[in-house]
Amino acid sequence: MKTEKYKILLVDDDETLCALLSEFLQAEGFEVETLHTGDAATERLLQSDEFDTVVLDIMMPGMSGLDVLRSVRAKRQVPILMLTGRGDDIDRIVGLEMGADDYLGKPCNPRELSARIKAIIRRTENSLGNGLNTKPIVHTQLHGIELDTGTRTALVNNTPLPLTSAEFNALSLLMTRAGQTISKQDMTQEVLNRPLEAYDRAMDVHISRIRQKLSSEGINDVIKSIRGVGYQMLTEQQPSQSDD
Amino acid sequence: MRRLSALLTTAYQKLGFKRLFWRIFICFWLSSLLVMIATGFVIISKYSSEEYTKRYRNDVLTQAERIVWRYEQALAVQTSRPIKLKSWIAKKENRRGHLMPMLISDDVNQRIYHYRLNKVKPEDRLEYEVLGPSGRTYRVFSRKPQTPRIYTQLMYRFQSLQFVFIFFASALVSALLSWSITRPLNYLGSFSRRYANEQEVTPLPRTLLTRGDELSDLATDIEFMVNKTHAAASTQQQLLHDVSHELRAPLARLQVSAALIEQKSPDSRHVKQIHSDCLRIDQLIQQILDYSKLEQSNPSPEPCDIDALCNQVIDNMAVTYPGVPVEYTPDSKAHISGFPEALLQALDNIIGNACKYSASGELVQITTLSRPTSVLITVRDHGPGVNEEEMSKLLQPFYRAGNEMHTNGFGLGLSIALKAINKHKGELRMSTPDDGGLKVEIILPKVAV
Repeated sequence: MKTEKYKILLVDDDETLCALLSEFLQAEGFEVETLHTGDAATERLLQSDEFDTVVLDIMMPGMSGLDVLRSVRAKRQVPILMLTGRGDDIDRIVGLEMGADDYLGKPCNPRELSARIKAIIRRTENSLGNGLNTKPIVHTQLHGIELDTGTRTALVNNTPLPLTSAEFNALSLLMTRAGQTISKQDMTQEVLNRPLEAYDRAMDVHISRIRQKLSSEGINDVIKSIRGVGYQMLTEQQPSQSDD
Repeated sequence: MRRLSALLTTAYQKLGFKRLFWRIFICFWLSSLLVMIATGFVIISKYSSEEYTKRYRNDVLTQAERIVWRYEQALAVQTSRPIKLKSWIAKKENRRGHLMPMLISDDVNQRIYHYRLNKVKPEDRLEYEVLGPSGRTYRVFSRKPQTPRIYTQLMYRFQSLQFVFIFFASALVSALLSWSITRPLNYLGSFSRRYANEQEVTPLPRTLLTRGDELSDLATDIEFMVNKTHAAASTQQQLLHDVSHELRAPLARLQVSAALIEQKSPDSRHVKQIHSDCLRIDQLIQQILDYSKLEQSNPSPEPCDIDALCNQVIDNMAVTYPGVPVEYTPDSKAHISGFPEALLQALDNIIGNACKYSASGELVQITTLSRPTSVLITVRDHGPGVNEEEMSKLLQPFYRAGNEMHTNGFGLGLSIALKAINKHKGELRMSTPDDGGLKVEIILPKVAV
């Protein structure tokens, strides 16, 4: 881990809540900056690259969290954690599909928020290859996908596949254990560094984005959904049938 | 006798003669028929016997003159054949029934025509004189006119085609009148019933409101009442929704404040209490929002794969209640047209309840079954079950089963489920099987009408 503090941008229109949360997160060892409108957050994020994670509330007057996500994602790869009204499933999934790294229902226990931020940072650290990554570097090739966990690239026809860090983690997990069924619990733990929750569709959305990206390269039906269990990457010997 | 009256009573009830329609119809029809009969009486009794006598005499003379004319005509031709006056006049009068009893004799007292007069006693006979075309005088005997009894006259009149026409016309008019009164009443009834069942206000037809009579006043009043009730209910619902929504911001702040205290004194059990209460409030808010969302939103139906929905819920139960074994028997053909989000909530609440009351590891069995027009989902647990009295109360908002296991929840879960199922025009049934536990059956029509 790097020695200086991780810097977090907290965007929520409730100023009191922001103040309390930033006090809490500072005590947890983060450096926190708060902003209260979507416009200010977009401007700040496009200007600067200094944040390790952004915590973004969806429901904000004016420019909503989803709008911010859309305009920031186009230019910046900073990890974004969305705060959603609990039960607004549609918002959650839309957020993930637009490239958010994870989401958390609001109101939430701040300890949970802190844990999620740490999980995201760990994942990013791993992906940058500096520090905690103790796993051996793996090169694999399957279905024409070349995967290198050292450089964290996935090549199809020698062109890199544009994957987010969560998507890369998921794909590498599936490829290194091709032919095996991996449960959603395990995948969430390994890929997102957190336990599976009830009504947690994060993993499903990440998988569906990987499928879309592979499919646009002409690779179809290599990740199989095992209903009620999880996912499986087919080996090249297995017939490529998907049951969903 | 008693059996007969019982039979009549059941027939009366079966045919629905208690209904206002039949009462008005029968009363009006009977009274109009009575008025007609009474009018008939008055007319006939005024149509005096004198006039009848005159007409009778006239009829006799006319017939006699015709016969005499024919007789003389026949004499003039001088045929040897007997003159068939009877068959001729019968043909002339079209019907034998129109022949009047009479006897005609010529000036030399020779009988030339006789029809049924011998049955009439001599003192009941009348004598007329008729002049033939040749100037000869004939004597005509016929029966004294007897004024027929009024009953016979009435029957005679009422047998006529006009009467049949009047009979049916008055029935038609009575039915129309009856219908015009009972139809708006029935309509108002179904309007109120529909509102009570579905909380939907459909506008009343203009024709009903602009009739200008007491019924349209009643319709206006009922519409006013329903609108008022609906407005009050919506306001309440909206208030509940808004309050719940507004509670979330302070709740979020409360949670963070509690976490801040916790950072400073990590072992405080009071903070733990605050956290668990915040969680409870959050769940309650969520349920209230779910409930009012079901009440207010009206999305258009889309295809729902019941099997996939059940799987999703069961997956989540595996996370929330890891110790509860769930046995699932799917039917892959169970597809309906409906509202997946509402169904997911209903299934989540019902299966969640089953798992909650099976905390010590009793088996929860879930079955889906596709039937020709509907899908049946059965959720069976082997927990403590529910007693008969409580079963109906369970579906009311904020009611919780009074057994020892009410650890969590606010009693909204089943109301949400019921609301979601009603939205599909489906049915929720609960029963307690003999070997304990609770069995919940959800019946969803494949196409919600």
